[in-house]
Order: sequence, then C-alpha cells, then structure tokens
Amino acid sequence: MNTPADTFLQEAVELLQSLEEVLLELEQAPQDAERIDAAFRALHTLKGSGDMFGFGALAAFIHHFEDAFDQIREGHAQVTPDLIAVSLDSRDHLGALLALGPNAELTASMAQTDEQLLARLALLKGASPQTAAPDQPAAATTEPTDQTSHLRQWHIRFSPEPGALKNGFRADLLLAEVAQLGALEVSCVTDHVPAIEDLDPAECYLAWDMTLTSEAERSRIDDIFIFQMDAELTITDVTPAPDQAPPQTGAPATTGDKPVQAEQGAAKSDSVRVQAHRLDDLMDQLGELVIAQARLKSIAESLDDTRLETTVEEIDALVTGLRDTTLSIRMLPLSIVFGKFRRVVRDLSAELGKPATLITEGGDTEVDKNIIDSLTEPLVHMIRNAVDHGVENTETRTASGKPEAATIRLGARQSGGEVLVTVADDGAGLDTNAIRRRATERGLITEDQDLSDDALHQLIFEPGFSTADSLTSVSGRGVGMDAVRRVVDDLRGTIDVKSHPGAGTEVTLRLPLTLAIIDGLLVTVDGDPFVLPLSSVEECVDLPESENGREEGRSILRIRDQLVPYLSLDTLFGYDASAKPGRRVAIVNAEGQRIGLVIDDVLGQLQTVIKPLSAYHRMVEELAGATILGDGAVALILDVNALVRRTGTNSLIAA
Amino acid sequence: MSLQTELTPGADIHHIHNTAPQAETVLTFKLADETFGISVGMVAEIIDPQKTTRVPNANALAPTLINVRGSIVPVIDLRFRLGMRPAEQIHTTRMLVLETKMKGETAKLAVMVDEVEDVIDTTTAELDTVPELGIRWPADCFRGVAKRDDTLVILIDADNAFALPVQ
Repeated sequence: MNTPADTFLQEAVELLQSLEEVLLELEQAPQDAERIDAAFRALHTLKGSGDMFGFGALAAFIHHFEDAFDQIREGHAQVTPDLIAVSLDSRDHLGALLALGPNAELTASMAQTDEQLLARLALLKGASPQTAAPDQPAAATTEPTDQTSHLRQWHIRFSPEPGALKNGFRADLLLAEVAQLGALEVSCVTDHVPAIEDLDPAECYLAWDMTLTSEAERSRIDDIFIFQMDAELTITDVTPAPDQAPPQTGAPATTGDKPVQAEQGAAKSDSVRVQAHRLDDLMDQLGELVIAQARLKSIAESLDDTRLETTVEEIDALVTGLRDTTLSIRMLPLSIVFGKFRRVVRDLSAELGKPATLITEGGDTEVDKNIIDSLTEPLVHMIRNAVDHGVENTETRTASGKPEAATIRLGARQSGGEVLVTVADDGAGLDTNAIRRRATERGLITEDQDLSDDALHQLIFEPGFSTADSLTSVSGRGVGMDAVRRVVDDLRGTIDVKSHPGAGTEVTLRLPLTLAIIDGLLVTVDGDPFVLPLSSVEECVDLPESENGREEGRSILRIRDQLVPYLSLDTLFGYDASAKPGRRVAIVNAEGQRIGLVIDDVLGQLQTVIKPLSAYHRMVEELAGATILGDGAVALILDVNALVRRTGTNSLIAA
Repeated sequence: MSLQTELTPGADIHHIHNTAPQAETVLTFKLADETFGISVGMVAEIIDPQKTTRVPNANALAPTLINVRGSIVPVIDLRFRLGMRPAEQIHTTRMLVLETKMKGETAKLAVMVDEVEDVIDTTTAELDTVPELGIRWPADCFRGVAKRDDTLVILIDADNAFALPVQ
C-alpha cells in the first residue's frame, strides 16, 4: 500500500489541509509574510510532485494559483477577502482534481470550474498592480525570490552548570529567547538525570539540543547565552550546502525551490510515518506482555527468590516505560480535528447569513488516535447544530443586545482519565418547552410526565428527534445528534448538555483518554476481584463500623467535613450483603461528584489491559471491560460513571 | 424469569428434510442424564472446568465468564436455557468452547456439560423431528433428534439456543 504514488496522495491531502488552515489564518492576518510563504510553499510542492505522478491538470491549475501568491510575496499584490475566497474554492477544486486520480480526464463540470476559477484568479492578478505597487511590473514571475538563501542552520548543545537553578536560571526564558531568532527545534537531553534516590531537586541535570534555522549571525546566539559562563555550550553551523539539500519525496528538483525544500527537510527529519495498523499490532503485543508480566510477578512472589524478584521488578519498570511510550505514540493532539472546523464554521456562517467565529481552546490536548478518528463526525454535527439551531439570527441577536457575530467555542481539556470536548455557542439556549412538545408529539414522553430539564435535554439525542421542521430555529439540535450519541457510546464516553436560556448551549463529550490500557485499583467485592480505573479514584477510607451492615437510612459519610454519599457494591451487584469487619470505601469522582463505593478490601494497584466483553455482557453498562490477572483469573473493570448514573445518585444526595 | 431470544421462538423444526441429506459429525454430551449433540464444526476445544467469574447484573443466560488463553469468553448456562435445575460440578464435568457467528462476527462462548461422550457421524436424513410430547424443553433450541443405538441424541440448534437475550 505504500507505493510512492500513495505517499504522494497522502501528502497531498495533508498539504491541502494545511493550505486551508493557512488561508483561514491569512484571512485574519493578511499581512503575515510567514503564512503567505507557507501557502506558496504548499502549492509549489504540490505542483511539482503532482506533475510527477500524472496529475497534469492539477499541476497546470496550481501554476496559475501559485502565481497569485508569488505576487503577494513579491509585494505586487495584497491578501484581500476576494483572494481568500477564490483560494479556498481553488483549494477545494484541487481536492476534486486529486480525487479524480492520476492521468484522468476532467469531467465537463470540473473543466468549467477550472476555467471559472482561473478567470477569477486572472481578474485578481489584473487588479493587483493598482492596489499595491504601481511602479512594479505586473508580470508574474514563477521563480521564487531567493529570500531564504541567507538562512543558516545552527546546532546548539547547551548544558547549564549543575548549580544554575540556584542562581535563578530559567531554561524556558532562555529557550524562548533563542526561538525568537527563527525556527527552533528543541530536544531535552535527560541522560544525566540520576536515579530518584540520588536526585537533588535543586540541581540541574538537563541539557538541551537545539536546531535553529535563522538569519541571525552567530554573535546574536552567543549574546543569549552570555550569562551562562559556566555552562557547556557548543554552537555549530550545520547549514546544508545548497546542493545537498535532502530532496522531498517525489518533488522535482527545480533550482528555484531548493532553499524551501531544505527548510522542510529539516522540519520533518525527526518524525517517521508509520502505518496505523502497525501501532495496533504493537499495542496488542504490549497488552500480552503486560499480562505475561503480571503472571511472572505472581510466580516470582510465590518462589521467594531475591534474584528473581529483582529481575522481575526491573522488567516491571521496563514494561511500564514501554507502555507509556507506546501509548504516547498513539496520542495525537486534538488540534488535528479542530483545524477542520474553522472552514465548517466559515462556510456555514456564509451560507446561513449568520456571522460566527470559531474559537478553539486546548487543541494540544492529546487523545488516543482511535478516538480522534471517530471524533470528527460527531463534532461536525455538534458545530453545525450550534450555528444552525443554537445561534439566533442577526436581528434577534441585536435585539437582545448580543454582538452580531456569534461565538462558537470548541474546547478540550483533560480531567483525570477523561478528555472533555466542549462545543458551546452564545445563542438562545435550548427551548425546553419546544422539546417537551415535540417529545410528546412523538410519544417519547407523556404529556403530564414530570421531567427535569436535564432529562429533557437528553431527549435531543433520540433518533430522528427534531428533523428539519417545526423545531429548527427555535431549539433544533436533533439533526444527527443520535449519531453523536452512538459514536460517543461506542467510545465509552458520555454527553452532558447544559443550556442557559438566552445565553447559549454547551454540549460536552466526556471521553476516555485511551481504549487499551489503564492504571487500575484492584479491589474485592464478596470475594470477587474488580478493577476501578485509578484515574477516577480519589482516596480510600475505612468504612466506620457504625455504618457497616446498615441497610436503611442515609448512606452518607462525613470525610473531613464533607458529606459524601456512598453505595455498597455488593448490594448493587445483587450479592449477599457482607457485614464483615474492616471494609473500605473507595471515594471516586463520577459524573462530577464524589461518591463512595463500599468494597471489602483493596488489593493494590495494577496495569490493566482492557479486554472487551462479549456481546452477552456488553449490555451491562456499569462494566467497562475485563482484565486478566497474574493468576489467570478474570477481574471486571467497573465504569464508575455508568455505575453512578445507573443508581441515580441525585436521589441519593437528596435523601 | 422469562427469556426471550432475538430469533422467533418455535423455529420450524418440522421442515428439516427439505434439503438434500448431508453428512454431519456431531459431538455428544450429557446434561441432566439426557444425551445432546452439537455440530463438531462449532466446537473449538474441550477444556476442564475453569474458575468462572461472576458478572454482576448479567442476563441469567450468561451469568459468568472465563479466561480461555487470554480471551474473555462468556459461559452460557445451558441448563438455565433449557429450564433445567442448576447442578453441582462432578468429576466428569467439562467445558465446551464453541465458536458461533453473531451478527457477522465470530464469537466464542463456553458451555458447561456433565460429560463429553463421543463423536458420531449422522446425516440430516437420519434426523427425526423432535417428538413434541416427549420433550420438556423449549423446542426452538433443537434441530431434531438422531437415533444412536438405543439412545436419542437431541441436536442443539446453536443459533437459537445461544441467541443474545433481548433487553
């Protein structure tokens, strides 16, 4: 599957994606020279490699497209809203050309689009000399200027002296200063960090390797480090000779774009493209390794051989490290998905005539790749709903004193073992009356049924609830929301809806960080082992004897002046109620509140490879999966959120 | 507790002869002193009874699960499905690990039986319909009865007998 042509296609799609982002950013900051360069570079690379792989039409079109950006680079033209609009349409056209495949004939409609776009581009080009620099010739030069030629690349190795921290040394400030000079890549050298028992927290054991691509003179770099007299510092010029620039895969080596390629080569050299299924294989094998390790550990414990135990401990540490590394490889920042939505909002707001801006927060939050892959679709639905139904029309907004342009917030943050992804709008909020009316019409609820607002909000996730008709502009939010819930359910996540009448709606997806391995707390209930996800456990306390065996009345514990409701897992599971002495309570954080879970005993902490349950047991919501313990026994993993939801703790607290 | 299955109960056992006779190899086992048979092609392995893990709040059809070399396999309570009384394990008790197709996926499940007996050859032509009066169990669980010497082997219809409970 990894033929050069496939690689080209993959890269082309990514280039178009980054082009779109750059264009949208340019719309906000039209003067940004770096972005203009980036757009040109993307197009130029695409043109070159497209030509090579038989995408002649694509290359021919880009030739004119990139002219526009070249002129801007040269200062003959400026970024205008028109240009962005044409460019975005052209970008989409490029996507269509790519999808057509190599050496394909253009369809009639595509040829037409091609012509129209070229005409629009030509128009912009024609208009440009007046807007910008009339004394310059308007002729387009395809040769990019040699403005990158005096870029130099420096390799800097910096190890502060061990006592630097005591003198107020701040590595972050220093690195930031270096970064101001140009494009900087930093890696931290941790080779000299000692074992934890030998570590003096006041000493600096770290060193940094930097690769700086900058126009700056050597002396400017030296200046930054001038106060680090005792540090070890080596600065070497590693600027690649022009002729040795590493060629980009598939890109033709035309003389014009060499510096550009050199820069890209440097930026990409530290990442490797790996097929996703290899990561899955790695993950599977790691899972088996973790289980085998648990078995080894339990055997070692029974043999009581010190040498064996030491080795097992070492392997244990290695496996943990390997697990963390493997998991981190699979973690990708959510910004990958977030980037796509700026276009969605831009186009939707133009289409519906509702000015709206998208603000993204926490795009650097990292989530397992499998989760990211499934997230795009639900988020599109949620954002569409926010703009389409959540946001009022301009008149209503002005009348209620809101700014004309709506704000859609797309945010992500990590909270314990979960990632929260929120789509919020500043629209009218959900109209609970309309939802109630609609649900009654559809027979989902009866007319006199007493439902809380929360329960009503959940109704928008019913399949087919609120199709295009009556509800839309009032409260809407049904289009595809059942699809959202299905995906989130599959990911073992949950959805919260918060509506503030007149002020907006906030939909939050709570998703697990990873689907494969978690840290767990092994506990027993009526003799059976169970695993609580460690991320949701806050503390463990003893169950006061006075509460033990209590069957009626309030189940509330007082922990450091805080009242915490608790549930007894054995009764919840339908097991014989145990009243044996010395039971424990695991305080977990579920559904945003502290809840105690009464268990018989805590056995310890362990790494848990989550194995899916069979179809017969998947419907038991409070179980997240199963795991195999060192002795071969199976322990069930509890989903504390579902557990608490099922028992309805609200009533518990009210009681 | 009533048990519904996804497939229509009372599957049509009276029309089993309408296809050409096919040879079939069947594994026979005992459950509550009756001899049952299941198509050998479904049987992945026969293992000694494992320590089962209770699944809280699970359907009574599959109240426990076991670890079969790293995979989590549900244990189907066939006695419950057939309306038999629960019984203690005895020294001949074995577990059959079966492979079934469920919604297009191959799924493993385990069934505890009192004794594994034999592997016999039979043909679909030899199958008799289940004598309705003589059987106390839900008819949709069976495909028919084969005669073996002087005992009756009741063939299990795995698709129906092990069908997922509807909620």
